[in-house]
Amino acid sequence: MNRPAAPWLRLGWRNLGRNSRRTVLTAGGLALGYCSVVVMTGLGRGMVAEMIGNGTGVLSGQLQVHSRDYLPERSVHETIGGRDGADVEGLVEAVAADPAVIAAAPRVYGGGLVSGGDQTVAAGLIGIDPKREANVSLIMRTGEAGRHPSGEANELWIGQEMARQLSVEPGDELVVVAPAADGSLGNDLFTVVGVFRSGLAEIDGTIAFLPYQSLQRLIALSSDRVHEIAARIEDAWEAPAAQSRLVASLSVSFGGAKVEDWTAFQPEMVQYARLFESFEWVLLVIVFVLAVFGVANTMLMATFERRREFAVLRALGATPGVVLKSVLWESVVLGAASLALGAAVTLPLLVWWHEAPPDVSWLYGDFTMAGGLVRPVLRVEYPFGMMVFAAFALFVTAIGAALLPAVRAGRVRPADALQD
Amino acid sequence: MKQVTMEPSETAATAVSGAPAVRTDDVWKVFEHDGIVVEAVRGVSLAIEPRDFVVLAGPSGSGKTTLLNMIGGLTRATRGQIWIDGRDITDLPERELARWRLERVGFVFQAYNLLPVLTALENAEFTMLLRGIPEDERRKRVESLFAEIGIAGLEDRRPSKLSGGQQQRVAVARAVVGRPALVLADEPTANLDSQTSSELIDLMARLNQEHGTTFVFATHDTELMRRAQRFIRLVDGQVVEDERRR
Repeated sequence: MNRPAAPWLRLGWRNLGRNSRRTVLTAGGLALGYCSVVVMTGLGRGMVAEMIGNGTGVLSGQLQVHSRDYLPERSVHETIGGRDGADVEGLVEAVAADPAVIAAAPRVYGGGLVSGGDQTVAAGLIGIDPKREANVSLIMRTGEAGRHPSGEANELWIGQEMARQLSVEPGDELVVVAPAADGSLGNDLFTVVGVFRSGLAEIDGTIAFLPYQSLQRLIALSSDRVHEIAARIEDAWEAPAAQSRLVASLSVSFGGAKVEDWTAFQPEMVQYARLFESFEWVLLVIVFVLAVFGVANTMLMATFERRREFAVLRALGATPGVVLKSVLWESVVLGAASLALGAAVTLPLLVWWHEAPPDVSWLYGDFTMAGGLVRPVLRVEYPFGMMVFAAFALFVTAIGAALLPAVRAGRVRPADALQD
Repeated sequence: MKQVTMEPSETAATAVSGAPAVRTDDVWKVFEHDGIVVEAVRGVSLAIEPRDFVVLAGPSGSGKTTLLNMIGGLTRATRGQIWIDGRDITDLPERELARWRLERVGFVFQAYNLLPVLTALENAEFTMLLRGIPEDERRKRVESLFAEIGIAGLEDRRPSKLSGGQQQRVAVARAVVGRPALVLADEPTANLDSQTSSELIDLMARLNQEHGTTFVFATHDTELMRRAQRFIRLVDGQVVEDERRR
């Protein structure tokens, strides 16, 4: 004979089995609530992760090092390096040496006009080291045609939209005019060697990449001066810790450099992440408040049908508190069964959607959020904290919903109920 | 037959020395519903001695069950006082009354009222569970009692798998296994055929004689009336006949 340790749990379990259809429906409702909260949270976090991953990974990087006064004006004169400045190569190596940093690369920034035939567009000019940049920026993987610029040649890698506006393709030549650091107006002829498509309209239409040495020449910067060192970190949320480490380590040898992580230079993404986080709690409350009414209704019916049994318990010497407790134990068992069912459905779904997220781009194309490109795939992140909290909320719901029925069961008048 | 081992603290002998098992003094029960007042019990005063085997008889609506419920503390008297084992239970707080019922009173109902989700053994041991008696002790006592009352082997059956007579024996076991001073039985044989009914009466009479448990029945059963040591007839809520047979 099966004799579980806790008689009240056993009693609760058996009572739930008396109307198995009703129990399955109730537990199913709670399980569905658990599943929806956890999966929706996972989807939201997946979307935020995608947004942050792309928003920081496409171009900006998760860490940036600048001259202390470079931001926010982005003056062409505020550089790292130069005659009295830091050793740029040494600084790149120091940044790359942080355990969280995957790669680091130097950049030079400029702005100007790019002309081809009768067409001219304003362009942000980003001078890169193509080989090192390929390990830092995801945008380097978005080539649509041609190739990356190479060496120190006057080669341009432009966005698809800019190419469309200028009616050019790889092999065509463009004239680039840009204000230089010495007050002159730099201009030169560049060859388009490739076209990229990031999916972000503001990048594809306004940015042109070129070897940083060629941009230094164009805007009259000496070859030992750059504006930025960008670094890639696999988990964007580790960037603040890496930033702290680098601030401490670089202050000794590179005192003029300022290290910032993406939460400082892309604060809108942090705000979006916080917004999603608050939405998770709203969802949790809505789902389980609705569940309370469903469970309470079921428990009220179940306890009303058993008034006579509660009267017998009272007649046998059970206090109202004992009767109340017996109903609450039943709700604990219901909660446990619901959680088991919910977990059995939720966990495989989470693993599936994490490992092989369904692509719904057929429904709608890529979209941007807080400056980050978001792919329409239902990828979930594992919301471990929410899984635990939702389980707790499920139990609170089951027990909370049973409180009123339990109190009413405890108040049954034995003599009256036994004569019904 | 096996004899149930009784612990001194749980036998009927713990009743207050010299006090009646039950004493009622001018007990009234008045129900009022939608302005209609019904006097179910009207000024009943009686004393039932320990080890008694008493029948409350009378037509339907005479107040038998109501009086039984008041004696058992399931409902409170509108007026008057009730002592059980010398203790005044009239105004006991609900928790104390429940505790007192648990330790001192056993109930047997007409409809058996076994909990359907529990086995026969679990039903019988339920009051001991409430009293916090260890599981091994509970099982030992129930199995011994089941053997004594002829339902050994039925321990693991649910009530739905038992006959009416077997269910009522389990109900009797549940009532007496905790060694109460008093067992109150409301129409215990009403749902049983005559042979089963007779066997059940034999069983309760034997428990009364061997264990000294006081039994008070509310019944229409002529066989049970015939076997009673004391016969009390109620009509319209009042005692109209009180006869001690031996």
